[in-house]
Amino acid sequence: MARQRIVITGLGGICALGNDVASIWDSMKAGRSGIGELSAPHLEDKPRIAAQIKQLPAFDIDRRRLVAIDRFALLAVMTADEALRQAGVSATHMDPTRIGAVVGTGIFGAETADENYWALLVENKSRASVFTVPRIMPSAPAGQVSMVHGLRGPVFGVTSACASSNHAFAAAADQIRLGRADIMLAGGADAPLVFGVVRSWEALRALARDTCRPFSADRDGLVLGEGAGIMVLESYEHATARGATILAELAGAGMSADAGDIVAPTIEGPTTAMQACLADASLAVEDIDYLNAHGTGTKANDQIETAAIRRVFGKHADSLSVSSTKSMHAHCMGASGAIEAIACIMAIRDGIVPPTANYREKDPDCDLDVTPNVAKERKVRAAVSNAFAFGGTNAVVAFTSV
Amino acid sequence: MADQLADEIIAKVKAHADPEVGEITLDTDLNALGIHSLELTEIIFDLEEAHGIEIEMNTVDAWNSLKNVGDMVEAVRTLIAKKA
Repeated sequence: MARQRIVITGLGGICALGNDVASIWDSMKAGRSGIGELSAPHLEDKPRIAAQIKQLPAFDIDRRRLVAIDRFALLAVMTADEALRQAGVSATHMDPTRIGAVVGTGIFGAETADENYWALLVENKSRASVFTVPRIMPSAPAGQVSMVHGLRGPVFGVTSACASSNHAFAAAADQIRLGRADIMLAGGADAPLVFGVVRSWEALRALARDTCRPFSADRDGLVLGEGAGIMVLESYEHATARGATILAELAGAGMSADAGDIVAPTIEGPTTAMQACLADASLAVEDIDYLNAHGTGTKANDQIETAAIRRVFGKHADSLSVSSTKSMHAHCMGASGAIEAIACIMAIRDGIVPPTANYREKDPDCDLDVTPNVAKERKVRAAVSNAFAFGGTNAVVAFTSV
Repeated sequence: MADQLADEIIAKVKAHADPEVGEITLDTDLNALGIHSLELTEIIFDLEEAHGIEIEMNTVDAWNSLKNVGDMVEAVRTLIAKKA
């Protein structure tokens, strides 16, 4: 039997670039960066930069649920709502046991962790908040999405640091192909712009001073961001049978591990993941028009990723449009892949490659067409999205037009 | 008759309740407050600390054994009296 095709029928997103997919895409097309001054409790000692969501949109949620939910899970719930509405999927009109969710996170409910350590260690409170455990757990976004939206099928979180969303897409597609669900929500969420996480990243000396400049010779690190993205996945047959609008196809996924260093990337791991993705999607390198790079803006990543792309794509690497949208929405940790999937799917739909913003100087070690600063009109038949991570856990996904 | 304990408990409940609930009295049903069951447990922990008492109920039973705000007040009053 031929393998089931998995298609995307709904898309939701939130990050510093906007509170929905349309506004995020507008910012991406315009090359507008969402990076600005960070405002967060206990981080007033010096100016810092981050890509923060300006203002959360109004969202109708029961107060009883809201007290038990950390920001990262709330972002997931909001974007799931947008994706479900676009897809015309509702658990009240369909069999809820056939709808599930896989939501990735690279961190956890970091705001909850901070608040409780602060209360116990600094304010000498006698106990932690009773909601600490349910708010903080890495599976909370998946669980909250299922509770708020009434999904009763396979629901779980996945975690692979900054590749979490792409692993979530792969795992969710598998649930459909294995017959465990008809519809799966998949994506990622993280809200890491709090004292503990920011100070931990500072300790790694991996953060940029002024902004995120992927592939630019003067790049000096990544910028932390927050956000979430969720897509609605179903089989091609299921989508067409119910008359749903298909946005794109999730054509394949490839996963690999470096099995090397916990932080230093290799060329081999990402190469293997990209090759596995293309094979899984039955795509030739020449079929790919756009590659959304992991492109963190660190010296190491961008150089090694360039080498890996050249190794996979050979001569075609010079015909490929590449960009790192992290230059605009920053590194949203476990949500990165989900927000970058928006860039890929909208690039396919609109025939526009979003740029790498903040680009200033050519780097001979990053010599691909990284679409510097200005979006490029071009037909995008297929797009590949890279996600690599600490721990050497790589996941690459491919999207195609339908 | 002024009931200091009742006023104190109502104030605590009010701080956690849905603002749309309006006036809270001893007759207000706990289910009508829009308070998460775990949050009720937090109110009870606060009361334990304030009065040096131990309320014998685990987090699951807390919601089920009390019906309205008055029940909470009486439960706490009984424990304070026992302690004295």
